[in-house]
Amino acid sequence: MQVVADPTVDERPSDPSEAPVRPQERALPGTAYSAANVLLQRVTHRYGAFTAVADVDLEIAAGEFIALLGPSGCGKTTLLRIIAGLMRQSEGHVTIGGEIVDALPTNERGAGIVFQSYALFPHMTVTANIDYGLRARGMPKGERSAIVAKMLSLVRMEQYAQRYPKQLSGGQQQRVALARTLAVSPRVLLLDEPFGALDKNLRLGMQIEVKRLQRELGITTVMVTHDQEEALSMADRIAVMSEGRVEQLGTPEDIYDRPQTLFVANFVGTANLFSGRLARDGERFSIALDAGGTLSIDAASPCSRAGRVMVSVRPEQLVFAPLGPGTLPATVELALPLGPSVVCELALDNGEKVKVTLARTGALAGLAAGTRTGLALSPGAPVAVFQA
Amino acid sequence: MSGTLAVPAGRLPPDAGASSGSLASRLLSDWQLVLPLGLFFLAFVFGPLALLGYVSLHTNVSLEEVTLAQYTKFLFDDFNLGVLGATLWLGLKVTVLTLLIGYPLAYLYSVARPFWQKLLILLIVLPLLTSAVVRTFAWLVILGRQGIVNETLLALGLLEMPAKLLYTPTAVVVALAQIELPLMVLPIITVLASIDPNLRQASQSLGAGSWRTFFQVILPLSAPGVLAGCLLVYASSVSAFVTQTLVGGGRQMFMPFYIYQQAIQANNYPFAAAIAMILLFSVLGIVVLVNLLARRVRVLSHG
Repeated sequence: MQVVADPTVDERPSDPSEAPVRPQERALPGTAYSAANVLLQRVTHRYGAFTAVADVDLEIAAGEFIALLGPSGCGKTTLLRIIAGLMRQSEGHVTIGGEIVDALPTNERGAGIVFQSYALFPHMTVTANIDYGLRARGMPKGERSAIVAKMLSLVRMEQYAQRYPKQLSGGQQQRVALARTLAVSPRVLLLDEPFGALDKNLRLGMQIEVKRLQRELGITTVMVTHDQEEALSMADRIAVMSEGRVEQLGTPEDIYDRPQTLFVANFVGTANLFSGRLARDGERFSIALDAGGTLSIDAASPCSRAGRVMVSVRPEQLVFAPLGPGTLPATVELALPLGPSVVCELALDNGEKVKVTLARTGALAGLAAGTRTGLALSPGAPVAVFQA
Repeated sequence: MSGTLAVPAGRLPPDAGASSGSLASRLLSDWQLVLPLGLFFLAFVFGPLALLGYVSLHTNVSLEEVTLAQYTKFLFDDFNLGVLGATLWLGLKVTVLTLLIGYPLAYLYSVARPFWQKLLILLIVLPLLTSAVVRTFAWLVILGRQGIVNETLLALGLLEMPAKLLYTPTAVVVALAQIELPLMVLPIITVLASIDPNLRQASQSLGAGSWRTFFQVILPLSAPGVLAGCLLVYASSVSAFVTQTLVGGGRQMFMPFYIYQQAIQANNYPFAAAIAMILLFSVLGIVVLVNLLARRVRVLSHG
């Protein structure tokens, strides 16, 4: 086995937990989480002629929670399996805690994975499931039972210790799967669509619980999801993926408010897309929309070059305004009161549809179908402009 | 017809009953569907069995005196008990050998690529497509004094004289194991295919190597298939008259040949019937016992 510290890796020698150590030599499992940083360098994976992951560079700090977000088939699960060692990438390197792990099999990587189906051993009790990885490490019985007890209390499953997986609900099974993975104190926790099999009410509870555990243990976590709300609410940073590439890597605020590509703007949250022509207007910019009307904005980002552009405006960034210069003329078609907010669908003069979200304050009377109104940008709204 | 989608199979929706009443009444009761097979079983399985039992309770073919004499005659005779023991022991040896060959074969199939799977399944099922008699004769050709094995060993100079391979207890076990192999392999393949592949990966990601994963996860989860295969092979090899007789050459007596001898050669039908019943209930007893044992183990491990 090669244990090579790549000189290009940022090793942060001040933190002893990141020294390149083999999993077997690490601190007692279940007692200390030696969070490791993860580095992906030019990772590419091909299935025959199809490129599932293309040239991905990603640096994940120790203790960070990263979400890989993207539509199905974008390569996010493949990337996760490459980190776990369940598959070998065609090109590039994976480094965990400063150690290049390309040649290490799954069982020597120290990367714990929680599967969407949980993959609990059906012929073992909850206790035996959690104990499994500890026994594989040849740990003495006393230490093992101490860790199992600690894990059971960590996921609040003490009273189910002697149950079998099929006697548990989906949420309970997931807690056990999590406890089983955390028991061996992995250097990296990998979550593959962890909440996909849970119903909506249970999902929120488990999301909060997982986030709590991740914070408490300070464990480096990579979560694969296609659910943008999940990614936005849980992750420290999000890597939005499309067609095997990372489209954008950033904090949830970055991803939502400052999308760098049209794909990100469209995939994360709801966006109204207009085509138009960008022009400089002194310190500001103006966009003459093809649908009629002009938008005036403080800053054009990521594209600020005059010319044909696509502009992405979130429904909550638009407000109703009297018809006039600097507004978009539109006609109300539909208003859906959704509890605290109202979602309106309007038609621009060329027939394009626009969604606007309003706080439920004023009377809803003005929103009757057929009402003519102007639409303006709310002040300071971070509108994203892309080159067309 | 979207309304019928939610209706359990075999039941017609209420509205369909009005328009196609005759169809509904024809499908109405399940017992009527079972009737043809039930009658067939009654006439050709349970009927003859009852007759066999009836015959076994008499002293001679005239069937005048009802007695348990045939059973006591069998059970208090060392020769007879020896034949029963040899037969049950043969079944055990064949079962163990087929398991030792069959499990790795089934495992190989479960991890093979689709192309090799097709080839393997053909090889596995092929013996089932020829009759047991033909397969038995093939073994005679292979193991005979001038058979393939002897000729090859002689030609290579490894033997001076042809070895006695045929008509030995080992030959019977080997031939039976080959012939019954599909019965072992097919249930194990089925159960291996039903194991969630993520379990193997979960085991690895928890730090377990391939051997631990196999013995702790794959093997226990494939136990139901192993059990089914063992019972099938056992029951079928214990009663494999043709192979036992032809490959064994009648040197060692097994129950099926004993029955044949008493019925056809000695014309002692009541005794033959008693031997048949004893074999039937011995095998049945073993099958039930093994099943009970397995269920108890499963209760312990699955709650």
